[in-house]
Amino acid sequence: MALIGPLFLLGLLGIGLPIWLHRLETQVTERELFATTMFLEPAKKRIHVQKKLKYLLLMALRILFIVLLVLAFTRPVLFAPPEAQITEDTTHHVIVVDTSFSMQSEELFTSAIERAREIVNDLESEDVGSIYSASTNITTITSTTDSPESLLLALDSLAPNNGKLDLGTMVTSLNTMIEESQANYILHVISDFQQTGQAVRFADMIPDVINGRPVSLAIERITGENTPNWLVDSVLVSNRETIEVGVRGFAEDSSQRTVTLAINEIVQQEQEITLGGNGITFVTFESVIFDEGDNRINISLSPNDALAGDDNRYTVFDNSPPAPVLLLTDNPESLSVTYITAALETAPRGYEVILQTIEDLDARVLERYPWIVVEDIGAINASLANAINDYVSAGGAVLAASGESSLGLTSVPVLGLDVGNISLRAEGRNPVTMIDNSHPALTDTSGWGTVNVRALPIETSVEDRVLVAQAGNQPVLIERPIGRGRFMLLTTALDNTLSDLPVRPVFVSFMAEAARYLSNENLLIREQVAESFLQLSIIGGASGQVYDPDGESLLSLSATTQAQDIALNKTGYYQVFTPGGEILVAVNPDRRESDLTIMDAQVLQNWQNVVAGTTNTGEQALNSQAEITTEDAEEQEIWRIFLVLLAIIVLAESILGNQHLRVKTGTL
Amino acid sequence: MALNIKKASKNSSGDARTRLLDPSVLGTLSNLELVAKMVVEGFVIGLHRSPKFGFSQEFVEYRQYADGDDPRYIDWNVYARSDRTVIKRFLGETNSHLMLLLDTSASMGYGSGGVSKLQYGKYLGASLAYLASRQHDAVGVMLFDDDVKEYRPPASKAGSMQGVIHSLDKAEASEGTDINRPMSRFREHIKKRGLVAVISDFYCDAEELLENIRPLAMNGQDVILFHLLDNDELSPDIKQSTLYEDMETGDAIEVDPVFMQKAYREKIRRHIAAIEESANGIRADHILLNTNEPLDKALHNYLTFREKRG
Repeated sequence: MALIGPLFLLGLLGIGLPIWLHRLETQVTERELFATTMFLEPAKKRIHVQKKLKYLLLMALRILFIVLLVLAFTRPVLFAPPEAQITEDTTHHVIVVDTSFSMQSEELFTSAIERAREIVNDLESEDVGSIYSASTNITTITSTTDSPESLLLALDSLAPNNGKLDLGTMVTSLNTMIEESQANYILHVISDFQQTGQAVRFADMIPDVINGRPVSLAIERITGENTPNWLVDSVLVSNRETIEVGVRGFAEDSSQRTVTLAINEIVQQEQEITLGGNGITFVTFESVIFDEGDNRINISLSPNDALAGDDNRYTVFDNSPPAPVLLLTDNPESLSVTYITAALETAPRGYEVILQTIEDLDARVLERYPWIVVEDIGAINASLANAINDYVSAGGAVLAASGESSLGLTSVPVLGLDVGNISLRAEGRNPVTMIDNSHPALTDTSGWGTVNVRALPIETSVEDRVLVAQAGNQPVLIERPIGRGRFMLLTTALDNTLSDLPVRPVFVSFMAEAARYLSNENLLIREQVAESFLQLSIIGGASGQVYDPDGESLLSLSATTQAQDIALNKTGYYQVFTPGGEILVAVNPDRRESDLTIMDAQVLQNWQNVVAGTTNTGEQALNSQAEITTEDAEEQEIWRIFLVLLAIIVLAESILGNQHLRVKTGTL
Repeated sequence: MALNIKKASKNSSGDARTRLLDPSVLGTLSNLELVAKMVVEGFVIGLHRSPKFGFSQEFVEYRQYADGDDPRYIDWNVYARSDRTVIKRFLGETNSHLMLLLDTSASMGYGSGGVSKLQYGKYLGASLAYLASRQHDAVGVMLFDDDVKEYRPPASKAGSMQGVIHSLDKAEASEGTDINRPMSRFREHIKKRGLVAVISDFYCDAEELLENIRPLAMNGQDVILFHLLDNDELSPDIKQSTLYEDMETGDAIEVDPVFMQKAYREKIRRHIAAIEESANGIRADHILLNTNEPLDKALHNYLTFREKRG
């Protein structure tokens, strides 16, 4: 904002306040007529003058306070000449160093830094440079400078991290991050150029034309061969006692390794295996003993290969006892009960299904369960419907299916939805055509497209959210919030008569997700990729502390209640402490970084050629704009300086004001 | 019940008398002569007809009429019987003269309450004049500040008291104070012995005052100094630093409350003591009057003074 902006001038009127206050203070000395002053003596001059000076100083400070406050809020800028004089003859070397996880392999990163130093040392006197690090995030290390010393110093601060480099993302980010000027740009990309780093769209890897001038691409490949590498690719726990480990290899030759299993930092088993060159080798650990609750599973390979970081894999397994789920049915022997019980007991979390016939149900037991399953909504009577309604209103959750008893319904119990006539013809089964993948119970499920159902024709109300539907927008799965709880209704049966959903693979995953959603279990993904962000809102906001794998607390005291997410920069176990207890999050590098297969030389050549083609086009544009010599001024925000000065002024004002008050008190 | 009513009545009459002497009440009256009458009558009622002070109208003797006597007091019955012009004399009659010297300098215009020192001085002067006329004294007046503003020689003729009151009534506070010049001129005019009442705030040097009053005393005049000061001049009470502007010179001085509560009070006390000492040195009487207080103190002191001087 300019200094003559109307808002700024309006804000400056605020200086009237200290002046007015000052006048109020100075009016303390009232002028009065008196018969004679022959017996009067003036108040001590020294004190009087001091007081006056203090008043003036106080007023000046207060005026400064207001002015700085206004300046701070209007955020004016000073126009300063750029540090380096850049003309169309200047060459701007944009040096991008790959700091992704794969650069931890052997001496790759050292070589990258050496190459970067060579580039800096080769800069001409009129050249300028800037340095960026490229991994999951692209970071500016130094802004544009003509000082090689500054650039070299910045290179020393670089280190590889656990992120993943995508060349498309890198170039797209650089397009917006590079400071534009009249210079000729050379983009030096120093990397191992993994195959997995190639952008999905080749066009994303083409840098923009900056200010009408092209960007030249200099590919600085620091390795010309594929380095063999093995990683622990997957860890799967089954039956709460067996762990199956998948070790993936990216090599031509096989390798002899020891796979070690450690649970909660205690080594339980080791196996000597021969790893194939390319592909996955599975290793099974039987009779593994887990502690109750979260367990830290650490699988490691020894000896380490060139990229040691992925020879360890961190996993979390929740060995909590199965949670009880009440299943209400009018026929315990039905197929629906079998399917539902099987799906819930095999869910990763593990649920213990408590079977209860509707006629023997004491409705008071409902509140013992966080959620319940109703096998056939048509089988419940009016009193049970009221009880279920009360249960849901109080915070409970229900997943109800529509079995045979529902076919005669004219209105759905609890929800009160009207039911139309249902066709009993076999061809009445229709495929699912719409799935709301944004819903937490459906996010990680796939395969609904193969499901054919004959759905109860209901007419939903505005309160209902249709999650799965058939053609003609016929609801298959709906959800309605009732009070503090939720009610999910499947408009078809789960006994393979009206629907083939129970025999489709999606059924198990759907039941697991629905169970997790309805039971309000945290939706935190217990395994995360390095350099990603942990959304603290998922676990109900921070309101606690997060410790990284090294045991360092990540949140300041104020941030414990305000932070929305934290960056997972390290591999290992992050401990998240919330009022509800401790949650472990395992962090591993992106598997794609472990594939050290480099991009084909021809691909790199093509990339360079395409960019060079852009260069020629750009040069034409250069000629047309050669006359443009206007120096861009660099805007430097100075409002922060004002804020610092503001704080000092406030401090001085307070001290002086207090002193002044002390003097005043003493004279009375 | 009856007793209570009687008591209430008595109290109310006493209150009324006191109120008549209250300067703030007198300030509501526009006629100075009326003020004087009210003050004196109220005061006299309070004296219970004490013959000692000679305010009764009881006949005492005749004496031969002399030039200058008020013809109103010639006893025409005696003249008819004996063809002699004699004057009736009453108890308390002094047949002297009273000269009122009223300071009208700007400082006399000061007043923190409803009545300024000059106004109070007017009331006092008028009351004294009225009182004196009742005793058949000749009354004169001189208004002065740094010079003589008005001079009316003592006279006991009919209307002379009204003349004095008129002069007092039109007095206004202005100019500074210089007691030398007016007192010098007064000494030139006063010939007969009598009583000189100086009404002023005496913001002058005590030695200087003494030098001007001493010749009067040496000349046989009985001098009484009515020293008028406002309550705020005697006991100032300010809560914060105040810039005081001198009413005579216009000079301004900022003073702080501590000084006014301690040093100033000591200074004004010393000044009053010095004036009193000067008065005592020439056998003059010094009466300090707080202009917030009723006038009876002044009148009482005046009569006491008269009593002492015969």
